[in-house]
Amino acid sequence: MLSGSAAISIRGLTKRYGKLVAVDRLDLEVRRGEVFGFLGLNGAGKTTTIRILLDLLRPTSGNAAVFGHDCQSDSLKARSAVGYLPGEMGIYSDLTGHEMLKFLERIGGGSVSREHRHNLTERFELSDRDLSRKLREYSTGMKRKLGLIQAFQADPLLLILDEPTEGLDPLMQESFYELLADARNRGRTVFMSSHVLPEVERVCDRIAVLRKGEVVLLSSVEDARKLASKNVRVVFQQNVAVPVSLPQGYEMIDAKPRTWILRVTGQLGSLPSFLAALPVADLAVEEARLEDVLVKYYRDGAE
Amino acid sequence: MTMLFALIAQTLHRVRKFLLAAGVLLAGFQVVLILQANSIQTSNTFAQMGDMVPAFARDVLGPSFVAFLTFKGIVCLGYFHPVVMGALVSVSLTLATIPVMEIETGFIDLVLARPVARHWIVTRSILVALISTAYLLAMMAIGTWIGLHYFAAKDAAWPSAGLIGSLAINLGFLMLCWAAIAMAIGCACRRRGSAGAIAGLLALTAYLTDYVGRAWKPAESVAWLSPFRYYTPFELVMGSALSAKSLCILGGIAAAAFALAYLLYSRRDISH
Repeated sequence: MLSGSAAISIRGLTKRYGKLVAVDRLDLEVRRGEVFGFLGLNGAGKTTTIRILLDLLRPTSGNAAVFGHDCQSDSLKARSAVGYLPGEMGIYSDLTGHEMLKFLERIGGGSVSREHRHNLTERFELSDRDLSRKLREYSTGMKRKLGLIQAFQADPLLLILDEPTEGLDPLMQESFYELLADARNRGRTVFMSSHVLPEVERVCDRIAVLRKGEVVLLSSVEDARKLASKNVRVVFQQNVAVPVSLPQGYEMIDAKPRTWILRVTGQLGSLPSFLAALPVADLAVEEARLEDVLVKYYRDGAE
Repeated sequence: MTMLFALIAQTLHRVRKFLLAAGVLLAGFQVVLILQANSIQTSNTFAQMGDMVPAFARDVLGPSFVAFLTFKGIVCLGYFHPVVMGALVSVSLTLATIPVMEIETGFIDLVLARPVARHWIVTRSILVALISTAYLLAMMAIGTWIGLHYFAAKDAAWPSAGLIGSLAINLGFLMLCWAAIAMAIGCACRRRGSAGAIAGLLALTAYLTDYVGRAWKPAESVAWLSPFRYYTPFELVMGSALSAKSLCILGGIAAAAFALAYLLYSRRDISH
């Protein structure tokens, strides 16, 4: 039984191409109203999973559902709630931007609010003149903006975005983040794949890291960040000898007579007692970056 | 239905220049043939032409040879000239492989990510093939009409409208048959180039099989396999009625191939 309360529900999903296993017994649930980051290296199985959700690919086994509708047996209902931005946009270069948006609106079944579309085109700085040009005259960034507009224009309940900021300049990335925040505030669910970890850290509530078709990490961004080692820089008032042994989870990265740089894995609760007897002049803790955790999972799928 | 109309309109919009050019060229070809027929008619050289034709060619054409070397026969040639047939089959293959091209370019991802059932993509392509076939044949008929009304000698014996209509209908069924075969092949391929090449080679093989079957008795035993066998312009020019059996066979092949296209497209992975 597929969960109707989840925006996306994936159970034991497997996709094989001959001997190659693209997705391997994947279990995943994306809650309504959250921004979910789907991460992994190239070939990890992210796009394959997304394409199964859209019924573009058929799974070897297992199933996936969008708002309780099975993505294969009830795919029309599942897709009626989705706005999709593909990683590579296949477009006909002899269409204009207007024609493209209008065509996609007509086959979408629902109606698109003129005001909403106007807001989107303004946000992404695509003028009427730009939209009247043939797509062959569009730059990579303009095509990406058009892709985002077509995904958001029907104001769908679920947005599936494959590498959404690829090709966007920093200003447009900011516009996209604002749009994402608006969507979340209006209760929309976002399922996005991305290689840009600072972006994921900034916009996502939860993440899943996929490696060779399997989920190796599923957690909130906050919890994932806690898994990262923190660098602690300690400056002393006078020369201090390096201790022979350190508490568990502590590692000396650099030791000078008056400055130590320690790597601390886990909570920092034991730090004050460890430094209590020492003449500490200054203390700085570097904020853990999600990137530091994820790179480790990308490499070796660490627990 | 709005969605189906949108799909059809978008596809026709994309191929409009191609279709327009093909229609004008085919209509123009009919006019040129009528000008030639008129020239032969006014110089009274049909008999001389007949003497120049080698014996084996007369054998191939059989009794229709006499009917062919007339003003009416030359006018009707516009409906079974190898260049015309090659062009029409090529147009059919081009249009029928649009679904696989959309997969190859990734355009279909944007379409099928919306609540569009896969069978509408095949239905759209069948309707586009039907509309295009009807349009091209209509353009050829218009070319014939213009040629006859403005360039034919007054004493020339025109082919009847029924004969032109029969040729066009038989040719239309042949085009649909090849469109269906190409569509089924396309629905099983990943690349439009591969689908077009396979369908094109198949069409050429079928054409040659039919051609050899007409000229060489032993080859007749396999010539029935060729869809071109069921396009019978010579018989029509000779005065035979349009064969319902031929239309049924061509229609049957088309229906089976379209059904196969539906099945293959509904089951395949859409990946580029």
